Amino acid sequence: MTNECPFEPNVIDAVTNDAWTESLRKHVASCDDCAAAAEVAPWMARFSGLDEREHILPDPAVLWLKARLLQTSAAVQRASMPITRLQIAAYLIIAAGWAGLLTWKSNALQAWINRLSPGHVILGVSGAERTSLSLTVLLALILLASATVGVAMHTILAEE
Amino acid sequence: MDEAAFETFYRKTAGGIWSYIYRMTGDAAMADDLMQKTFFRFLRSNPSIADEDHLRRYVYKTATNLVFDHFREVRRDRARPFDWMPAEARPDRGDLRQDMSRVFAELKPQERALLWLAHVEGNSHEEIAEAIGVKSKSIKVMLFRARKRLGEMLTKKGLAPEVRR
Repeated sequence: MTNECPFEPNVIDAVTNDAWTESLRKHVASCDDCAAAAEVAPWMARFSGLDEREHILPDPAVLWLKARLLQTSAAVQRASMPITRLQIAAYLIIAAGWAGLLTWKSNALQAWINRLSPGHVILGVSGAERTSLSLTVLLALILLASATVGVAMHTILAEE
Repeated sequence: MDEAAFETFYRKTAGGIWSYIYRMTGDAAMADDLMQKTFFRFLRSNPSIADEDHLRRYVYKTATNLVFDHFREVRRDRARPFDWMPAEARPDRGDLRQDMSRVFAELKPQERALLWLAHVEGNSHEEIAEAIGVKSKSIKVMLFRARKRLGEMLTKKGLAPEVRR
C-alpha cells in the first residue's frame, strides 16, 4: 500500500455529486482505499458544507499592513542586535572592573569611606590619623563611575 | 509579491484556509488568529514564485504546522476534560451540526487534517504529505486508517450516510 489509487478523486467526486459510472462502481468493489473513501465522503461533504463560511475574514489590506509593520519591527530588532551585544559587553566589563577594584583595594577603600563618617571627620579636625587614596585608585574610581553612568544613560536613551 | 497580487491570492485561498483551521480547532477566534499568523508567515517568506499552486501548498503547510503547534500547547495546558474540544463539540450540546463537529473533534488532529485535505480540499497524497510533514508513501495507509476510524465512529453513532452507488 504505497501508491495513491488514481480513481480516488473520481470516487470522492462521484459520491459527492452522485455521478457514479458503472466502471467506477466495479472499481470501488475491488479497491479497499476507494471503498473507505466512498464510505466517509458523503459525511465529509455535508460536514464541510456547514455554514461556517458566513464568517467575515480580515481585510487583506489590513493583513498586508500588519505584516509590513511586523517585518519593519523585526528588521529594527535585527539592526539593533550588535548595539545590544555591545551594551551587554560594556556592562560585563564595568562589573568586572568594579569587582576587581573592590577586591584589590578593599582595605584602602574601607578606610577611606570610614574617614567620611561624622566621627572620623571630628577626629580628623582634631588632628587624628589621616588616610588618603592613591592617585591611581582615585582615577580608577572616577573612570569606573563615569563608565557606569555613561552606559546606563546610553541604555535609557536608546530605549526611549 | 506586491499588495495587489497578495490581495488576489488571499481572496482565493483565505476562505478555505479559515475553514480548514476552524474545523481543525473548532474555535472561530483561534481560526482568525492562526489564519492571520499563517499569512504573516507567508508574507515574511517573501513569496516570489509565480506558481499559485505552489504558494497555496505552502500556505496549507504553514497553517497545518501552526494548528499542530496549537494542539501541542493545548495538550500541555490541559486542565479540564473538555477544554481541548471545540466549544461547539462539548457534550452539553445537541443538534446534528454539533453531532458532526463532535465526531470530527474526536479524531486525532492528524486524522482531521488528512480527511479535510483529501475530501474537502481535494489534495493529492503528495500535497497532503507536504502539508502535514510526512512521507508521501505513508499517506495511503494513514488516510485509509483515518477513513476507517471515521467510518466506524459514524456507524457506532448512527450517523453514517447511505452511499448510493
